[in-house]
Amino acid sequence: MSKSVPSDRRHGVRMLLHGAYRGFAGGAREVTLDATTIREALAGLVSAHPSLTERLRDEHGKLRPHLALFINEDDARLLGWEDAPLHDGDIVHVIPAVSGG
Amino acid sequence: MAKKVTLLVGTKKGLYILRGDAGRGSWACEGPEFAPAEIHHAAYDPRDGSMFAAVNQTWGGSRIEVSRDMGKTWKTTKNPAFPAGSDRTFSKTWHIEPGHSKTPNVVWAGTEPAALFKSEDRGETWSIVKSLDDQPSRAEWVPGFGGMGLHSIAIDAKDPKKMMVGISVGGVYRTEDGGTTWVQDNKVNGAPSERPDVFYCIHKLLAHPEESGLRFMRVHEEVYWRDPGETTWQFSTKGLPSNFGFAAAIHPRDRSTAYCIPLDGMRRTASPFGIGVYRTTDKGKTWDRLDKGLPEGAPMESVREGMHNDRLDPMGLYFGTANGDVWASKTEGESWSRVAQYLPYVTSVHAATIE
Repeated sequence: MSKSVPSDRRHGVRMLLHGAYRGFAGGAREVTLDATTIREALAGLVSAHPSLTERLRDEHGKLRPHLALFINEDDARLLGWEDAPLHDGDIVHVIPAVSGG
Repeated sequence: MAKKVTLLVGTKKGLYILRGDAGRGSWACEGPEFAPAEIHHAAYDPRDGSMFAAVNQTWGGSRIEVSRDMGKTWKTTKNPAFPAGSDRTFSKTWHIEPGHSKTPNVVWAGTEPAALFKSEDRGETWSIVKSLDDQPSRAEWVPGFGGMGLHSIAIDAKDPKKMMVGISVGGVYRTEDGGTTWVQDNKVNGAPSERPDVFYCIHKLLAHPEESGLRFMRVHEEVYWRDPGETTWQFSTKGLPSNFGFAAAIHPRDRSTAYCIPLDGMRRTASPFGIGVYRTTDKGKTWDRLDKGLPEGAPMESVREGMHNDRLDPMGLYFGTANGDVWASKTEGESWSRVAQYLPYVTSVHAATIE
C-alpha cells in the first residue's frame, strides 16, 4: 500500500519502509511525498501514517537511536541527519538499525 | 460456564499464550506475538477481559499493547511519556496492573526509569503520577542489576486509594489518598542489619486480593510479611535455602500462605539446591519445599514476574524459567508438571482466570 501527497514533483521523494517499520505502519511499504529535507520527509511520513509518530521519536521529539535513514545509498547521518537535503527522485530508506553481534 | 485459565507468558522473544482446558490438564500454545521484542510483563484485566503486554523493543521504542478480544488482535496504546523538560525518557514498561474493581477504567503501569503511570481510559493513554515523581527522595534511587524500574503496584483489597509501589532500587512508597501524597514505608522488624541499604532493592511486593492491609514482599536478600494494621515489615526469611530470589506469589484466599522461588545470590540460579517452590502457611515463620515433579537439582532460574497463581479452588500455581520452561501445579504447589518447553527465556507468567 502506498499513499501519495499531491506534488508538483519538484522534490518528489520515495520513502521505503523496511523491517519493523513496515509493521508499525500497518504493512505499508512505501510513501511518496514532497520534501526538501529529511525532517520534512519524516513529518510527511508521520502525517501519512500517524502510528509511526512514537515509533520514530521519543516523547521529547528526539529520533530513536536504533533508526537508520539512508538517502539512496548514503547514510543520512553523514549528510546532515535531519537537515540532510533531498532532491527530486531521491529514495529514503527507513531501516531498523542493527547493532551488537 | 466453567472457569478456565489462560497463561500469558512473556519471553525475551515475544509473547506466548497458553490456553488451558477446563481441567487445567492440557494447554494450547499460541505465539509468539511481538517477537523479537522482549515482553517484560503481560496481564489480564478481569474487570473487562482486556489483556496488556509490556513490549520492550529497541526498534521503534518500547510500547504497551492492549487486546480487547482475548489476545487475538492487539492495539498499540499511546506511550507513557515523561513531561516536557524532563531529563528522562520512557525506556521500558516493567509491570502493568489493572486497577481496583471500584475504579473500572483505571490501569497502572510501572516503568524504567522508575515512575508510576496511570491510565483512566482502560489503558489507551497514560499519565505520570507526578506526586510520586516529585518525591525529594527520588534523588536517592539507583539502578539495580536489571536497571531502575518501578515493578510492583500493590492495590489494597478493599480500598483503591490505598496502594504501595516497589522500586528497584528505591524501596516502598505508600499512598492512602489515591496517589495525592506518598510516604516511604521501609521500616523492618527482625531483619539483619549489616546491609540495611539492600532492603531498598525491592524484588516483588504483593497485596492480598481479599484481605485489606495484608502484604507479602520479596526483597533482594529477604522476604517479609505484613499483617493488616502493622506498620513494619516482618522479617520472614528463616527456613529458606538462600536469601536471594525474585519470583513470589500470595494465596488468593488463605491469609497465611505465600510462595517464593529462592535462588543462589551469586549464581542467580536455583543451585546447588535445585529449582523448588517454597511455601509458608504460617505468615513466613516456616517454609516447606514443594518440588514433586520438578527436575531434581536443576539449576534453573525464575525472575521477578516469573510466578503467578490463578483464582480457582484448589489454586493453580505457575512459573516460568530462563531455559524456556513453564511449570504448572493445579494442587497449590503439591505437584508439578511442565506445560511448555523450548520457549525463549521466560520473563513473566501471568495466570488469567477467565469465566
